[in-house]
Parts: sequence; structure tokens; C-alpha cells
Amino acid sequence: MTSKFVTWLDERLGLQGIYDTVFDRKVPKVNWWFTLGSASLFLFVMQVVTGIFLSVYYVPSPDHAYDSIQYIMNGVTFGWLIRGIHHWGATLMVIFVFIHMLRTFYYAAYKFPRELTWVTGVVLLLATLGMGFTGYLLPWNQKAYWATTVGTEIPGTIPVIGPFITSILRGGSELSAVTLARFYSVHIWFLPLVILLVIGIHMYLIIRLGISNIPGKDD
Amino acid sequence: MNEEQKKGILEKYKQAKQKGVKFYPDIIYKDILISFALFIVLVIMAIFIGVVNEPKANPSDTAYVPRPEWYFLFLFEMLKYFPGEIEWIGTAIIPGLAVLALFLLPFFDRNPNRHWSKRKFAITFMTVIVLGMVGLTILAAATTPEQEEEGVIANTMSEQIVVGEELYSIHCVECHGPEGEGGEIKGVEGLEGVILDPINTEDVMYPFTDETLYNIIDMGQPNLGMPPFSTQFGGELSPAEIEYLVTFMRYTWDDRAELPEEPVAAAAIPTLAPNEVPSYEVHVAPIIKRYCISCHRPGKKNNNYTMGSYEEVMTSGDNAPNVIPGDMTSILLRTLHREEMENIGPMPPSKALKPELIAIFERWVAGGALNTAAEAAAATAAGAGGTTVPITATLTITGTIVPGSTITPTIPLATSEATQQPTP
Ligand code: HEM
Repeated sequence: MTSKFVTWLDERLGLQGIYDTVFDRKVPKVNWWFTLGSASLFLFVMQVVTGIFLSVYYVPSPDHAYDSIQYIMNGVTFGWLIRGIHHWGATLMVIFVFIHMLRTFYYAAYKFPRELTWVTGVVLLLATLGMGFTGYLLPWNQKAYWATTVGTEIPGTIPVIGPFITSILRGGSELSAVTLARFYSVHIWFLPLVILLVIGIHMYLIIRLGISNIPGKDD
Repeated sequence: MNEEQKKGILEKYKQAKQKGVKFYPDIIYKDILISFALFIVLVIMAIFIGVVNEPKANPSDTAYVPRPEWYFLFLFEMLKYFPGEIEWIGTAIIPGLAVLALFLLPFFDRNPNRHWSKRKFAITFMTVIVLGMVGLTILAAATTPEQEEEGVIANTMSEQIVVGEELYSIHCVECHGPEGEGGEIKGVEGLEGVILDPINTEDVMYPFTDETLYNIIDMGQPNLGMPPFSTQFGGELSPAEIEYLVTFMRYTWDDRAELPEEPVAAAAIPTLAPNEVPSYEVHVAPIIKRYCISCHRPGKKNNNYTMGSYEEVMTSGDNAPNVIPGDMTSILLRTLHREEMENIGPMPPSKALKPELIAIFERWVAGGALNTAAEAAAATAAGAGGTTVPITATLTITGTIVPGSTITPTIPLATSEATQQPTP
């Protein structure tokens, strides 16, 4: 019965083919440093899941953002746990993505034929940092407010176009409801979608090209 | 890289794969193991470290020392080396070049070798940069000044009400009275003799939303004599504190809101048994906090008599001592009995304390004006109580809500979005 059902599905979805290319492939013998990429992926998935839960209660307006976070921490069952995981998950993700980059650098995994894997990786690194920057403002507490004030001032020092960039980031001359709305939508829509898409390309390349071997003396 | 080299690389990789393992299960099990370990680590961090509770954003508090997220600290620190005119080198040129270099790395690193011994320059270069970033981060963390302690952060509704009530006692009682009852203002510079309507009735509570109340406290009502209270306009309160005040007012005076039990308990004065000697700590301080501190704090007209601590109550003031242990003609008691003296008026200026509260002061002075509960307990044991009349003064926040009574109105508070939490 089960096998009949699986066969039925396979005839239509090509499950066997997916299994063969994704799971049943040969890879060189590698070490634990090669788990950092999937660790990054796991952390990203955790951020998405906990983030979706947080977005149920979070209200992105200066009047309500702080209170809604207080409510998540004190009113929602296990809200504190979800927020705690999201908070620390962000820090761990930055660390793991960064060390993953270092490992691919030190093993020279970015060289032919994996140049594009590296380039998509750089996009992922920047997007991850962008997630940290935009997410930091959302609780609308003192730390968030002043860090973002300074953070958005920094591009303002660039000659000629600087002030323009600052006003784009803030949606005005000062931090306001507009800033919060922008950071919120970048944090929950733009960047996650970019990351999702680019992870897709990253993974496609990894499966297509195969994971690199640990460089030997003759490599 | 020429075709020959490319072929060689692909050929070698094929051999490496041949000698290798299957992704499933050999590789994926490691991945899953790491992910699972990370999950445990995350849960442990969420439980045992948690997220530090910060005060609400206060755009007018420019003294706040901004601290970016830790992984941006190195950038922050680096900027210090590019002061003034050349700041943009640190903010734009260096980060811009670094990102560009990262993107283009596979294209300008033309060295075909992959073993570390044949790419010493690249490895050294990257290591120096990473160590530099780590160093700058440590330096930044070590040199960022400690944040000054901020006011209390109240988490739950009940905590907010308690904090709001304390703030009310300090900032509002001198004009609006301990229960928001209003009346004639006495002893407040510039507002002497002004008659205030009560603010604890439905005439105020029904039409005024939380937002309106917030704005009134925030900006004051200059045409009516009420000063602005937010730091933004020269007052003493942060936005969060004003919100706590509004929450306190709403939950105590609006009969459509149900006051939680904890704030009621927090506002109650411990009862005094017959023969029990009262102490400052347990019995007197709560009364002072509620009825006196609004004027008897620094910066107010009070003959320099501040009442913030036991020492101050006993020794401060132009007419000190105002309290002499055992002396029933102590100035403090005479003012409570509304005696007119030279330079000293009746206290509280606008309205006498309830007799049971005055009695607590009297028994306190008679019992030796003791400070701590332990001293008072010792005195009680020694039989210095002096009266057999039990005093069960309970400070009720309004006339309508008594501890232990159940209050049933449950009309949803449509007007109080600013402090009402969303209900799941
Ligand atoms: C959200 C961030 C990222 C995710 C989820 C991710 C995921 C992965 C995974 C699962 C692998 C295969 C296994 C491994 O080597 O760990 C991988 C490989 C790789 N990644 Fe990433 N990555 C991310 C960011 C980056 C970054 C920032 C870079 C570099 C700038 C990068 C460059 C590479 C390269 C070159 C490989 C091929 C390694 C090889 O074949 O040996 N990745 N990535």
C-alpha cells in the first residue's frame, strides 16, 4: 500500500530523481568545518519560524512597538522563549555565517569552479548583517533608538550623496514612525526574501558542483 | 586559468569523490547533529541569559550613550581613527572597498593552488584583517562607557501601576491631592489658591483617552498653570514614566477598568496591632511617600525639610529637629494637627490626614520614632506600645476599591489603547 502510494507520487513528482541528486550523491571525505553552512541554514530557518511567531503580536509603530514586546515577554505563553531564541539566534547566525565564510576562504573553496557560490555567499553575509541592523530597531527601546540614530548617521558623512542616503534610510530627517515602518518591512519582507532566493541559488550550486575536498598538498 | 588546469582540477575532484562518502547518511548526520546542538544552545541562552529589558525609546534623552549591536562595534571603533574631515574614508571608502574585494575575490585571486602552503599571502592577509576586527571589537567593548542607570522598567501591568502610583505621589499630589480629588492648592509656588477640579472622576476618565492624558502630562496645560512634565519640555519624566502614570490613573480611577490585586496590596499600609510599636520603615514611610514627598523633596518650597529617608525625616529642615522621639509636641505632630506656628503651616496644607494616619504618626513618635522593623519589634516585646486601640488604616487608592473586594465592571477599555495590551 505504502509503496504503491510512493510509486504513484514518484511517477508524478520524480522523487527518486530528487533523492538521487540531493541525498544519494558521492562527496569527498570532509571534516566538521563543513557543517557550518548547514548550521547557518538551520539558524536562518529558526529565525524565520520564531520571527513569524513574533510578528503575530509585534506592532510596528512607535506608540505600540515597545508595549507589544513587553506583552510578548510577559503576556504571551512562551513569548519570552520565542523572543529569546530569535534574539540569540541572530547573534549566532552572524557568527556562524562569518566563520563559514572564513572556512571557505581558508580551504580556498571559492576557486574554480565555485566562484559563484562565493559571490552568492557574500550577498548572504551582507543580507544577514542587514537583518541584524534592521531588527535591532524594532523593539523601539533606548538602545535600539540611539544605535539606529547613529547607524543611519554614518552614511550621511559620505560626500555629496550621504545626506540623501540617510534621509532614505530614515524616511525623513529624524527617526520616526516612517523609519520604523521601513525597517520593519525590510526586516520581515525584503531581506528574508533575498536571503531565501540566494540560499536557493547557493544550494543549487553546491549540489551541482559538489562540496570541495579538503585541499591536499598537491592541490 | 587555462582549459588544461580546469580539466586537471575537475579530474582530481572526481577522484576525491570516488574515495569519499555518500551525502546521505554520512554528511547529513553531522549537519543534523550540529543543528540539534545549536537548538539546545539557543534554548539554553533564551532561558538562562534571556533578553535584557531596556527602557522605552526616549528621543529627548540625548545623554544616552549609543551602542550598536556587538558585531558592528569594530566598524564603530574604526571610525575613531578617521575624525572630522576625513571621516568619510572610514564610513564609505574602507567598507566599500572591503565589500567590493569580497565580491571579486574569486576573480582577482588568480593563484590556482588550494593548499595553504601555496597561498601564504592570502591566508596571512585575511588572518590579519580578522584579528584586526576582533581587536577593534574588544577595544570598543572595553572603552564604551557604562550606561547610566535608567529609571525603573516596569514589565507587567501591575508593576506599571505601582510605579505610576509612586510617580503620582511624587509629582502630582502637591496639586491634585493624594487621590486626585483636587481642591484648593496650598503651598505650591505660583499656584497658591488655585482651585482644581478632581481628576479621579468619570468626567475626566470617560472623555479623556490614554493618549490625551499622556499629552496633558507630557506637554502640560500652560494656560491652566500645569507645567510640562516630560524631559523633552523641561520636566523630569521619561515617556515610559508618563505612560506608567497614565496606566495608574486609568486603572485606579476609571470604574470601567479592573485594578489588579498586586498594586492594591502594594499601596496598602500594614496594619498596626494594639500595643505594637510602629516603625518608620514599615508604617511611616508609606504614608510619607503618599502624602508628603510631593513637596518634601529637594527643589520644592518646604523649609528645607526633605523626607526621602529616615535620616532626612529626623534631622533635615530649617526648624530641625521636626521629630523628637517620645516628644508629643514635636513639630511634625503639631503640623499634622493643623496648628499654626511661625513660618510653619498645617500639614498637609490643603487637607488634614485621616485621623487613623495621624494616630500612626503619634504612636510612632511616642514609641521612640524607631527606624527599622526589627527595632520596633524589640520595643513592642518590651511593652512600649502604649495604646490598646488597634489601628487598621488601609490606604485605599480611591474610595471605591478596597483590597479583597471584587470589582466586576468589564466593559472593554476602548479608550486606552496606549497602555492596553493586545489580547490574544
Ligand atoms: C545565510 C548564509 C549562508 C548559508 C545558509 C550557507 C549555506 C551553505 C551550505 C549549506 C554549504 C555547503 C556545506 C558547507 O560548506 O558548509 C555552503 C557552501 C559554501 N558557501 Fe555558504 N552559506 C551562507 C553564507 C556564505 C557566505 C557568507 C559565503 C562566503 C562569502 C559562502 C560561501 C560558500 C562557498 C564558497 C561554499 C562552497 C564550499 C565548498 O564547496 O567547499 N556562504 N554554504
